[in-house]
Amino acid sequence: MGTKITVDPVTRIEGHLKIDVEIEDGKVKDAWSSGTMARGMEILLKGKDPRDASYVTSRICGVCHSVHQLCSVYALDDAFGANVPTGGTLLRNLAMGAQYIYDHPLHFYHLCALDYLDIMAIANYTGKDEKLNAVKDKVVGLVKTKDTYPLTPRYKPDEYCVNDPETVTSAVKHYIDALSMQANARNMGAVFGGRQPHYQSIVVGGFTQLPDVNQVVRFQTMLNEQAKFINEVYIPDVLAFGTGPLFPLAKIGLGGGHYNYISCGALEKKPPEKELLFPAGVIMKLDLANIQVQPFDADKITEAVTYSWYKDGKPLRPANGVTEYDLEKKKAYSFVKAPRYDGQSMEVGPLARQLVAKNPDLLGLVEKGAKPGVVARHAARALETKAVVDACYKWCDQLLTKMTKPGFKIHDTEHWEPPQEGSGAGFYEPPRGTLGHWIKIKDAKIENYQCVVPSTWNASPRCNKKIRGQYEESLIGAPVPDPDNPINVVRIVRSFDPCLACAIHLIHPKTNEIKKFIVA
Amino acid sequence: LSSLFGEISRRDFMKFSAATAAIFGLSPTEFAEGASEVLAATTASKKLPVIWLEGQDCAGCTVSFAGALNPPIATLILDKLSVRYHETIMAGSGHVSEEAYHATVKAGGYVLVVEGSIPTAAEGHFCMVGGRPFKDIAVGVKEIVKDKPIINLSTCPVHVDHLVGTVLYYLVTGKVPPLDDLNRPLMYFGENIHDNCRRRSYFEAEEFLQDWNDPGQQNFCLYEKGCKGPDTFADCPVRRWNDGINFCIDCGAGCKGCAEPVFYAEMTPLYSADAAKSIDEIKKRVRYGTNTPSNNHSGREV
Repeated sequence: MGTKITVDPVTRIEGHLKIDVEIEDGKVKDAWSSGTMARGMEILLKGKDPRDASYVTSRICGVCHSVHQLCSVYALDDAFGANVPTGGTLLRNLAMGAQYIYDHPLHFYHLCALDYLDIMAIANYTGKDEKLNAVKDKVVGLVKTKDTYPLTPRYKPDEYCVNDPETVTSAVKHYIDALSMQANARNMGAVFGGRQPHYQSIVVGGFTQLPDVNQVVRFQTMLNEQAKFINEVYIPDVLAFGTGPLFPLAKIGLGGGHYNYISCGALEKKPPEKELLFPAGVIMKLDLANIQVQPFDADKITEAVTYSWYKDGKPLRPANGVTEYDLEKKKAYSFVKAPRYDGQSMEVGPLARQLVAKNPDLLGLVEKGAKPGVVARHAARALETKAVVDACYKWCDQLLTKMTKPGFKIHDTEHWEPPQEGSGAGFYEPPRGTLGHWIKIKDAKIENYQCVVPSTWNASPRCNKKIRGQYEESLIGAPVPDPDNPINVVRIVRSFDPCLACAIHLIHPKTNEIKKFIVA
Repeated sequence: LSSLFGEISRRDFMKFSAATAAIFGLSPTEFAEGASEVLAATTASKKLPVIWLEGQDCAGCTVSFAGALNPPIATLILDKLSVRYHETIMAGSGHVSEEAYHATVKAGGYVLVVEGSIPTAAEGHFCMVGGRPFKDIAVGVKEIVKDKPIINLSTCPVHVDHLVGTVLYYLVTGKVPPLDDLNRPLMYFGENIHDNCRRRSYFEAEEFLQDWNDPGQQNFCLYEKGCKGPDTFADCPVRRWNDGINFCIDCGAGCKGCAEPVFYAEMTPLYSADAAKSIDEIKKRVRYGTNTPSNNHSGREV
């Protein structure tokens, strides 16, 4: 039996997550991922007007806010029989594009970068760059007043932390610059979304705001500023780190996991044409020499609750899913359910999407020896941010052409009233991966509502067949030479961009003793 | 602004911290015991220690706060505040972050911000942080602090101006701003949305938006699309959101009443007019805001 350590809370993520690992000979031997907060949005919606669902489910998460709004209206469009006009689709896509542009760089700089930098190396910067010296002065000033929060306390920097003074100083400058960039990107989302976080303007049937030319130009102008930062700072930083100081982590494939990937596909490149910016597909047991992508089939998704605090039962299709707590279940250790595709544990998110898309830039990195894992996940995220920026420009052009012609439409007003009976499913690829919403309508009210969310896939506990979730599997074998300094554990978990408010829809921990959670 | 933060006197700091500690739920005794020690320890920095706790939340308020541009968020978190514990931005994890939390609580004199709700069922086990029920970390603020007001910034998510502005108000005046009966600052929640709505004249003319595609209707009243403006108190029509770029009513969706305690239970259905409230009934109220018992406009000095 190895040493057991618990990281609780895992910070710089959304939500409440606890990770338990068992360490033997300096490596992770086994791992348990526990979501420690219940939500219950599905229960809240029962009996309500179906149109409420998009507004309420947006509140599942305030970081990847509004992705639920979009996925929910996809399910509602399906149930109401709504035909969204192209104008409505373009506006929805632009709002979601802005969401991507805000979310991905923020993850790299503000949620992850501190795991890879020995920030105190700044004190040794001796260069002449005025801006870098300003950063040095700022940090040295914090140290002098003995108040370096929130940059410390921290796990001790290990051999993979960058300590070259110029690299670290420049990375911290970008961390500070990126704080303004994410705030500006959020405002860009509000141009069409109404406000951010939690957009208002995405509803069943389309969109609520007829755009004017000023708004589109404003959006484009803000996009220019974002594109400049993404192309000149964010992508070069990720690639420089990934192929430089972090290459040893990439080479050992830290945080690989099951090597099963899924993308349900998202965002029409040029609506109403069906070609997608993120293609749909499934990869089982990735073979890099010969990547086989199977078609995505939503009917192969089931959710197990064997090790989750829900009433026991067979794995169910989400459309028929139930959410009833069982806080007394002895073997349960998470409020997260365990979704499986064709019975297998899958990874969702940027790496999955870009492998399914066979992104040549990502595969180029892989050819150089960067195995799929933590570093490849960051690279995939940066590469797809650029793809989203490029798509936003095209959507703006298409919108300007269409909106200035008579008969421009943004909403299917014929299908605004809820049907008496109906059911619908919606699928979307938000920044963190495959998302599905399912609705059943009876007497024009919501009879049942279920979501299978990106972090539910990645953060899931074991399923009925005892297959580990993707976080758990990707931790196996990770080097943890010092149990008091599990920096690789948080690097791996954070590389997925966890969003636990999303992952968990109901949960319980009566006790926090790790022994109670060990799975035989 | 920087001079305000930079030159705050010890006396102001004490006043501010006492008020804030009470507001966000720190026991006054706990504060008094620890204040002098923390002041001594941070004389050089003068930054206000902050503990920001996330309960059963979606992090939307954190994200909203991180959208501050004036002053920029980098200035707030690095130069002006000493963010000792905030799960979403702090460097440390696990026991490292827990130690920072306990040390700050022990020293006292910090600002406590609570985001999200505090689940109390099943002994608080529906939300666990660092192995403790969140309920035990942030016990109901009102239960601890009986003789001091609690500030409630109630929109969903919090408006960044409301949060930063409330903190600034303390710094400038050393006082809690006048509050309504729900403990919301009157400077932000004193007026009714319907009273300040730019679509109000269309309401009076009973011209209601039916079709979002029609440019001829795009400024019409959103009452029949479920706007809850007449039941909601907040300064959104004046302040707007995201640096004034847009807000719920301008984008054609209407107000959904997120600033009110009865949101969402009594605001549903969100996208159709509430049959219980007729147009005539709403029209009877000349200044709608003065007629709601929960919001008496009698702001009190504290």
